Amino acid sequence: MADHFFTFSIITLSLFVVASSGGLESELVADLLTLQAESKSGVIHLDDRTVSKFLTSPRTPRPYSFLIFFDAANFHDKPELRLRELRREFEIVASSFITNHNSSNTKLFFGDIEFRESQSSFQLFGVNSLPHVRLVGPTAKSLKDDSDVMDQGDFSRLAESMAEFVQYRTKLTVGPIHRPPALSKMQLGLITALLLLCLPLVAKRIFAGETLLHDPKIWLSGAVFVYFFSVSGAMHNIIRKMPMFLVDRNDPNKLVFFYQGSGMQLGAEGFAVGFLYTVVGLLLAFVTHVLVYVKDATAKRLAMLFTLLVSFWAVKKVILLDNWKTGYGIHGFWPSSWN
Amino acid sequence: MSNSYTSDILKPFKLKTKQQELLIRVLILCLVYILAFITRLFSVLRYESMIHEFDPYFNYRTTLYVTQHGFYDFWNWFDYESWYPLGRIVGGTLYPGLMVTAALIYRLLHFLRFAVHIREVCVLTAPFFASNTTLVAYFFGKEIWDSGAGLVAAILIAVCPGYISRSVAGSYDNEGVAIFALLFTFYLFVKAVNTGSLAWGLASAFGYFYMVSAWGGYVFIINLIPLYVLVLLITGRYSMRLYVAYNCLYILGMLLAMQIRFVGFQHVQSGEHMAAMGVFFLMQVFYFLDWVKHMLSDTNLFQEFLRITVTCAVAVGGIALGVGMASGYISPWTGRFYSLLDPTYAKDHIPIIASVSEHQPTAWSSFMFDFHILLFLFPAGLYFCFKRLSDATIFIVMYGLTSMYFAGVMVRLILVATPAVCLISAIAVSATVKNLTVLLRSKTKVAQIGSTKGTSSAKASSKASLDQSQPFQKNGAMALLFGAFYLLSRYATHCTWVTSEAYSSPSIVLAARGAHGNRVIFDDYREAYFWLRQNTPLDAKVMSWWDYGYQITAMGNRTVIVDNNTWNNTHIATVGRAMSSYEDEAYEIIRSLDVDYVLVVFGGVTGYSSDDINKYKLSYYRFGEMMTEYGKPPGYDRARGVEIGNKDIKLEHLEEAFTTSNWIVRIYKVKPPNNRW
Repeated sequence: MADHFFTFSIITLSLFVVASSGGLESELVADLLTLQAESKSGVIHLDDRTVSKFLTSPRTPRPYSFLIFFDAANFHDKPELRLRELRREFEIVASSFITNHNSSNTKLFFGDIEFRESQSSFQLFGVNSLPHVRLVGPTAKSLKDDSDVMDQGDFSRLAESMAEFVQYRTKLTVGPIHRPPALSKMQLGLITALLLLCLPLVAKRIFAGETLLHDPKIWLSGAVFVYFFSVSGAMHNIIRKMPMFLVDRNDPNKLVFFYQGSGMQLGAEGFAVGFLYTVVGLLLAFVTHVLVYVKDATAKRLAMLFTLLVSFWAVKKVILLDNWKTGYGIHGFWPSSWN
Repeated sequence: MSNSYTSDILKPFKLKTKQQELLIRVLILCLVYILAFITRLFSVLRYESMIHEFDPYFNYRTTLYVTQHGFYDFWNWFDYESWYPLGRIVGGTLYPGLMVTAALIYRLLHFLRFAVHIREVCVLTAPFFASNTTLVAYFFGKEIWDSGAGLVAAILIAVCPGYISRSVAGSYDNEGVAIFALLFTFYLFVKAVNTGSLAWGLASAFGYFYMVSAWGGYVFIINLIPLYVLVLLITGRYSMRLYVAYNCLYILGMLLAMQIRFVGFQHVQSGEHMAAMGVFFLMQVFYFLDWVKHMLSDTNLFQEFLRITVTCAVAVGGIALGVGMASGYISPWTGRFYSLLDPTYAKDHIPIIASVSEHQPTAWSSFMFDFHILLFLFPAGLYFCFKRLSDATIFIVMYGLTSMYFAGVMVRLILVATPAVCLISAIAVSATVKNLTVLLRSKTKVAQIGSTKGTSSAKASSKASLDQSQPFQKNGAMALLFGAFYLLSRYATHCTWVTSEAYSSPSIVLAARGAHGNRVIFDDYREAYFWLRQNTPLDAKVMSWWDYGYQITAMGNRTVIVDNNTWNNTHIATVGRAMSSYEDEAYEIIRSLDVDYVLVVFGGVTGYSSDDINKYKLSYYRFGEMMTEYGKPPGYDRARGVEIGNKDIKLEHLEEAFTTSNWIVRIYKVKPPNNRW
């Protein structure tokens, strides 16, 4: 009798525990869903308290996985870490995932955690370098050892590769990535309509020969601008997102404007060199065409002298800079029998 | 008495000024022709006459095939020796211009009973065409400005490093021939626009056909010329000459271009070629309007008609384009060319294109390296062109600007910008030197007139005032002239140095300085390929990273799994996975691909840093016992600068077959599977 009672109580107790834990679990999930709905783009902001509530306290297996983005506000300005960009991509993955599952998924949640606020959680996870993204599976007991880390290769193609990582580890499909378009449909439609409206007017002006496009000076300045843009390596700076200048590593007060080493350059460097090039060319053109009309002989001579000196200095400067930067020592070849 | 006697003898040899000029010009052109050829021969003199790099080996192999089997077999060739087991349709996936040209030269030389080997022809094709390019540059310069500018352009382009980089002797690649074809087509087209003659238009269409057969960069021509035509139309320079020239080029050129299988129907289907079609239809509209204007006498009515027609035409064109793109008939821009318009595209979406070192954006030091003085003269030349606007100068300005922009996006495209930069700089140099020398010569003329003619007081006074400023002007002009010549001589020095040091290395043979300053040559690659050729069965399959594929098939004469064509990224990924997995997993992949030998490149002994480091085990097998550098422990990796950790590597499924004398290339044989019961 006592045995029956004992077994019965054990069973009821365990059922109760299961039910309560199940109830506890569904409470957690509901909490997470509310937090998700409140947050921007579906990324829940975690701190020490919520980490313990949702991750360390509940028993495994938890009903959900968590993908966490580790962030640090004071590192946002370091371009090589790309924290802002990766954060944005992470948000895009999160919002795409939620939209594709019609906000009804409870298996995977996205969160981010900031260093200053939650240093102990960082220690819990054992994170000591950024950027860092971790996937905490339902069965992970120790946050440090049992969670999956997203590595550099998974960041390389941003949202697409992050989504693949998620799919591979959690077996949940993320679906197509929804990126906000550069111009919304409304804006696009407006612009097209405007273009169509101006078309007859523009055509008329073109045929009359009155547009701005007919003035050679506009074309000339456009041409010089294209030349300046290309030659100064501005394209290189834009593609590689090079900064204008760097802070000297040894002496934090000094700024480094010129990068030593061929194949790479800094922003200010590009502008300086481009300016020097353009100055020489334009001065030559100025001397040949504009100076001829000046009446005063002394003024002419002074201008000529000035042009000569400036051009000479500019060319010398550029060549010195180039030799310093690339380290090449360019010399002529004399016959070896002359040495 | 003797004076007149000698002058009588010399009289038939005394040339008139015009003839003197012609003689000087011809002499200069001959010298420039020879110079362009000679300056590209550094590597032939230093090493030997061989083909450089990786891609030229494929071109060499196909040229060999053409000479041995004839054109039709080449055109229908299916190559089963590369991309095993997929094979490659060679005839339909290459640009045949280079190979056919070399084969024709080879046939011609044999016809004249010069028994040269095809390899010599291949090695020297690029310098030969570079010399021809200088001639074309002369004629082009003459067309745009005058013959003085033409001569300077020829000289500048003969030594310009931007061009030399891809046309040294031994660099048997498409660009060597393509730049000649590019400039030639442009010259013929500008000539056609200037003269309005149908013959020149026809010639330009054939020039375009040659360009299409030579290089994929023909897309630049088929977009630049319509853009140029559009600019002319917008600035009100429509004329019958333009109409004839463009129509002839577009229609005939398009029909001819479709003969190349690799291009196929792209001229009517691909988004990259739609600009040309659009401009073609626009030209018809312009012609129609011109005709209507000619027929109508009422200008107001004509203006109305004009507005309506143009709007309708543009709207119809836009709708047609939209329908074409939406239905998928017109394909959008391919990734390769789209990344030129949006340079950040390749980095995010097509990693294999973004990883090629030639596709990196250009820093200013690269421009300086390849152009030197020409960069300073370029804006001056632009200004001169704008001062004397004509159809031809507008063209060269557009060519220069577009090519400079693209050169800024991708280092490799500096090559395309070189002819334009040389031509525009030549205009600047020529005009400046001309002005200066006119100044120098005018003084003597004035003095002569002053002394021989009578002394009219008015004339004398004006001459006197002129004479006062003359010495200054003359000295200034002399100084400037010397400055200009000094600048040009520095340019020549720079170009020679760059050619000799930077662009004349055949990557297949490495050279270094020994401890006593003597030159040490590493010929490991060819050693390994010839070992393969002589010591492996004929149907052996070799797995290596795709960089070496072309060389293995050309020199080793064995089947490879992947090569430089990189047309199948999945296949490459499979090989990459095999190379970087543990030996057991890799062995499964290797068996599934039917591989017999594995080839890796390793630089730890020589300090050669561009090797295959991630094939860890294969690279470092037995390396632990090796003493590489005096004073360092055995197993010191000279490329990475550290001692390796695991010195005792055991291989289970592969065995070492051959290691070259400097350990640069290592070949491993795949052991057959164990017998199973």
